[in-house]
Amino acid sequence: MATRKGREGEMLESVYSVIALVFVLVACVELCDAATVVDVYRLIQYDLAGVPFGSRLANLNHHAASGFAPAADLSRTVVIVPVRDINITFIGDYITQKQPLGGLLFLLPRMISSENRDDMGRGDQTFEEKLMRNMLGELEQLLIHASIPYPVYFAFEDDNIDDVLTDIKRNDATSQPATATTGGYKLVVSAPEPKKIVSPTITNIQGWLPGLKVDGDANQLPTIAIVASYDTFGAAPALSVGSDSNGSGVVALLEIARLFSLLYSNPKTRGRYNLLFGLTSGGPYNYNGTHKWLRSFDQRLRESIDYAICLNSIGSWDNELWIHVSKPPENAYIKQMFEGFAEVAEELGLKVGLKHKKINISNPRVAWEHEQFSRLRVTAATLSELSVAPELLERTGGLSDSRHFLNEAAIIRSIKLVAESLARHIYGHEGKNIQIFADDSSLAVNPSYIQSWLHLLSRTPRVAPFCSKNDPFILALKKELADHTVEVNVQHEVLDGMFTFYDSTKARLNIYQVASVTFDLLLLLVLGSYLIVLFSFLVITTRGLDDLISLFRRPPSRKLKTA
Amino acid sequence: MTVFHFFNCAILTFGPHAVYYSATPLSEYDTLGTSVKAALVYLGTALIKLVCLATFLNVSENDSFDPYQELLKALIGFIDVAGLYFALTQLTHRNISQNHKFQAVGLGWAFADSVLHRLAPLWVGARGLEFTWDYILQGLEANANLVLSISLAALGSLMWLRKNKPRTLIPIIYICAGIVATMPSITSYLRRGLGWHLPKVVGFELFTSLVMAFISWQLFATCQRPST
Repeated sequence: MATRKGREGEMLESVYSVIALVFVLVACVELCDAATVVDVYRLIQYDLAGVPFGSRLANLNHHAASGFAPAADLSRTVVIVPVRDINITFIGDYITQKQPLGGLLFLLPRMISSENRDDMGRGDQTFEEKLMRNMLGELEQLLIHASIPYPVYFAFEDDNIDDVLTDIKRNDATSQPATATTGGYKLVVSAPEPKKIVSPTITNIQGWLPGLKVDGDANQLPTIAIVASYDTFGAAPALSVGSDSNGSGVVALLEIARLFSLLYSNPKTRGRYNLLFGLTSGGPYNYNGTHKWLRSFDQRLRESIDYAICLNSIGSWDNELWIHVSKPPENAYIKQMFEGFAEVAEELGLKVGLKHKKINISNPRVAWEHEQFSRLRVTAATLSELSVAPELLERTGGLSDSRHFLNEAAIIRSIKLVAESLARHIYGHEGKNIQIFADDSSLAVNPSYIQSWLHLLSRTPRVAPFCSKNDPFILALKKELADHTVEVNVQHEVLDGMFTFYDSTKARLNIYQVASVTFDLLLLLVLGSYLIVLFSFLVITTRGLDDLISLFRRPPSRKLKTA
Repeated sequence: MTVFHFFNCAILTFGPHAVYYSATPLSEYDTLGTSVKAALVYLGTALIKLVCLATFLNVSENDSFDPYQELLKALIGFIDVAGLYFALTQLTHRNISQNHKFQAVGLGWAFADSVLHRLAPLWVGARGLEFTWDYILQGLEANANLVLSISLAALGSLMWLRKNKPRTLIPIIYICAGIVATMPSITSYLRRGLGWHLPKVVGFELFTSLVMAFISWQLFATCQRPST
């Protein structure tokens, strides 16, 4: 009877231990959640004249931390940095000092995402938003011009990743940064080694609106060229949508083509000028595409160009646009063109300024698209909201250039300005106050057309080396231009220059919550003792206590080892 | 590290079976053959069950609890009992006592169940980077299942093999056997009908298995008394 009681006591004990274990598990179970997967966009990797720039790695498999803990070894840690509260000088120092780091993950605010469709294009931005835009621009320049030996990724803030980040922050606040022994989160991007892109192509698209030729006139009609470069460059190639630079120029060009195609479709309103529309690529790389495009013209055509208007970044200005020229303002052609623009601008209530920047032929840097024309002695100007020429790879439609910061009204006003001054020049109405593209007329600027194209442009990354020859976007541009103009030509060229690009721009980031080795050791311990208790319990209940004791008296048997 | 975790979960899932075999007199009487036979019978039973499930059950699009379907599933679940009956009575066992026979059969049965249902998910899942409690819970579930299988085998051997048992206990034995046999349906109801989470269900399973084991143990002991 006594042994029976003892047995029951043993049994109750094991029941208690099992129940206790269950309670422990139930208490802990709230902590776990499933793996999160987010889209991430890699920092660009390129060589400039053989010098490496950008992030040099793509593969990522490290623990996450929320900040740069001082005096900690971060060489196996990915630091998650929300751009919202970034300390740009600190990050800059950290990168330039080449401190070891496992990787960087920047969290971009949701408002610059192309998926964010509400409240965009209003143009009225709060102070914080402007600050954010400047900071993004600064960060981008910093990252583009640094050579970073670890992977750098961008992701958009979302609920999942915010949860993960708060969790990591809490862990970081309580203990040392996550390592293999403390568990936490592990960020994994499995991407192949980035490969060089062999012979990146650039694609130029051109379309004509032929003018009306009077019978018997042997002379060739003069041509006016309207040009915009459409490709972009930015820190994250898959996010470089360039709504302003130069999406706004492309939209303006398409709308102007549409308006003039309406005029030119009727012989009565067909002008005595040919109109040449050119969508060029390679803009960020010293307008390499424009250069190739112009070289492909024959001499007669090049000489027939009266002047060329290049549209560049005309989507987020407030009160003043600039016309940039390479010839001195005293030049008769320049004077005439500028006066035409200034007159229309005055009627529209805008301000247009003239900026003259001499070309230095020995300098390979081409800051403005019109400089490629000027180098070939074609009169040209660039219309832009920028008052000074951007540096190489600056203002090329990167991260900060999102639809959110775009002002649709500004684009519409720019289009009106260009179209109106062109029309006056073509039809010889200079000096007369005639509105050809007046609102509410059949020739009015169409805001919904602009909106839909802006929408497409603002969600299509257009970094030329990563666009194939038959990229759907290029085909769409070609088709759109073919709808308004004739003789649409697509020209594929190899991007030359000193740039080498590497692929792998987009990846998927897996966030795993991992258990620590300590936990697994503890679990092993618990399981081992559980099995030993079970073994003892079974031996005692089925064979009696003496057997168990005799088991231990003998040298450890094989059976015990299995327990 | 994750292989370590897999190792842990495997110990939790399959360890108790080994411990049971080595700690009880089963190992002394070398009843491995009986267990293997029982495991083979389990495989056959599982096959028949699958065929029946595939034939009679609709695939529900949502994960909701459909009483009719569940009833059918419970009925099909009784094929298990038939398999166990076959394993206990129809197979020729080596000359081992009834006492050890049901334990060996239950052990083989539970081990085959664990291997069939838990090994593959464990191999695939527990080695992944993401940590979840699921595989630990699954291991605990395997423990509960071992206890239940042995209880069911004990009750089965009481029902089918022992002739002279106290008349008053017969309905209790049958009720208990019924409860143990319908345990899969009960847990399925808890999980999907009531929306219990896995830890709660596993806790319930562990608790019931221990209670049922205790009851069947007592029943077995009471039945054994007159004969001894």
